[in-house]
Amino acid sequence: MRGWLSSAKSHSILLTHEATADLVYRARRGEADAFTGLVRAYLRPAYTIALSVVARPADAEDIAQEAFLKAFQSLHTCREPERFAAWLFQIVRNRARNLLDSRRLRDVAPAGARILEFITAASASAGMREALLAALADLDTEKREVVLLHDLEDWTHKEIAEVLDISEVHSRQHLFKARQTLRAKLGGELPQEGSEGNHGR
Amino acid sequence: MEDERINFSALDPSRNELRWQRTVGMLVGQALAERRKRLSIEQQLLRWARPVLAVAAGLCLVAWTAGLLSTSSAQRVSSVQQSPALTLANWAANNQIPEPSDLLRTLGGNR
Repeated sequence: MRGWLSSAKSHSILLTHEATADLVYRARRGEADAFTGLVRAYLRPAYTIALSVVARPADAEDIAQEAFLKAFQSLHTCREPERFAAWLFQIVRNRARNLLDSRRLRDVAPAGARILEFITAASASAGMREALLAALADLDTEKREVVLLHDLEDWTHKEIAEVLDISEVHSRQHLFKARQTLRAKLGGELPQEGSEGNHGR
Repeated sequence: MEDERINFSALDPSRNELRWQRTVGMLVGQALAERRKRLSIEQQLLRWARPVLAVAAGLCLVAWTAGLLSTSSAQRVSSVQQSPALTLANWAANNQIPEPSDLLRTLGGNR
């Protein structure tokens, strides 16, 4: 059976549902290789999911790592080892939302002002990364997840639909609208596809 | 739609290969260390569980034996004290003439 994350990427390994379940069982027994296998396969997607929610790469990296540690600590509670990723991503989302909540309490500036500040900073530095983040801020979380999972992680709509619990049609619609918004926002700032290269299939 | 994909490589955390590999290694190391720590706590608990259980069982046995002994000696004393034959013998030995009420009580008349 083909797993929903079976795309060959430079930093991910080819994993089927069975392979994922096998790694989970072995990790439960404490095999170091199994931990490595799971991290190599799912750390990047976990980061992408976190980035979709918190929109800050450094925070997203922290959340992804913390969520992984939390998942490993409670690996015995993962009822469906073959669906480890979906379970892990739920932990990631919860942590990311908690961070957003605490950030809302900390930050005093209204959201609009923060985004403007962000865009201004992006224009000033002319950094592609900042420009992308500013443009992503105009999308809702679900569209961000879809476009990042598709275009950064190279997931198929089937894979995205399964992990986000939406239909494939919905995933395609989200991707179409997200790209439209991003292109309108970024305009000429968008680099040519392949100039730096995503990890394409 | 596939060729319209947006280039997000600027947001790719694994662009810096060395840093990414270090992150992966560090995360696995932390996970294993956590597991070892948790296991060692469980092992220590297991190691101490047996002696603690043995001591508790010993204390229970001592308490139970003491309770049993005190109960049986108290029962013996009271049964001796309440024995009609002994009471009658005492009276006879002391040339004592019991009151009818004492006699009745001793022989079971007050039941």
